[in-house]
Amino acid sequence: MVRDRLRNSPITADMVEPTKVTEHDGPEGDLVLVERVLAGDRRAFEFLVRRHERRVFRVTLAVLGNIEDAEEAMQDTFVKAFRHLDQFRKEARFSTWLTRIAINEAIQKRNARKNFVPLAEIETEEEHFAPKRRESWKSNPEQLYSKQEIHRIVEEAIRSLPQIYREAFMLRDVEELSAEEAAEVLGITVPALKSRLLRARLMMRETLAEKFEEPPTLKTKIAHAAVDAGTAMAMRLMRAAGR
Amino acid sequence: MKTMDCKDVLANLSCYIDGEGSAELRTALEEHISRCRRCRVVFDTTGKMLKIVTDAEPFEVPLSVSARLYARLEKVLSEG
Repeated sequence: MVRDRLRNSPITADMVEPTKVTEHDGPEGDLVLVERVLAGDRRAFEFLVRRHERRVFRVTLAVLGNIEDAEEAMQDTFVKAFRHLDQFRKEARFSTWLTRIAINEAIQKRNARKNFVPLAEIETEEEHFAPKRRESWKSNPEQLYSKQEIHRIVEEAIRSLPQIYREAFMLRDVEELSAEEAAEVLGITVPALKSRLLRARLMMRETLAEKFEEPPTLKTKIAHAAVDAGTAMAMRLMRAAGR
Repeated sequence: MKTMDCKDVLANLSCYIDGEGSAELRTALEEHISRCRRCRVVFDTTGKMLKIVTDAEPFEVPLSVSARLYARLEKVLSEG
């Protein structure tokens, strides 16, 4: 679908992709394309855009929370990356370098908003988050809704996360950056990233539980209460016994 | 390793899901969730949540957004 879309866009209509680079080449393919651009083949930059367009859009959306601002930040990211490509240090991954630019662009836009509240004032990551929903989910939750409905449910749940958790979740669980990479692009420590990610995952679980949880019957409620009481008692006894 | 309580288990949920932590920690955690229904549910449903999110591939770039990006880049790449 992405290929079809690009085929119709003006910039790619007359393009011939370099034969040695495919969409599956990963970081090595990125480096080949960077070298080509730096050697004067400006059109090779379009392939870099093709590879990373979606990631850049997602991270700018994660920070800014709306499509209009994310679009502007995405455009600025690619323009900046093109103009400063000679500053890319090839020992790093191109995707990490580009993601860092995208995050910076998005943060600058967010900070320039009139109603911007500095993060320090809304950060609550030290607070303990206790899961409230404790019922099992249906065995095949994905089959309860159409693909489009699931897509919408997931996007709404991610959008509802407070920004610092949304960023961590998007980078780690949607874009699948490593904890180290995600921490680096957000400019925070790995433990801070992990703390935000845990909170984000628990919040996402809580939100999706509304849609996927198995409604408890009276019988299961009684059975669970009995099991929980028994488990709590057993834990107290084990602690008392010094296990 | 000391027996874990529910709070310890929750604090290590991400670590377990991401395949991190020592064998000892993972064993202690598995031991807890084998006998604690509430923690087992949280673990199981967090895993399901992550699978649903991954399969959903959220936030496609809208066609119009993509078209405007390429139009702007066309201009930039054409600059001398």
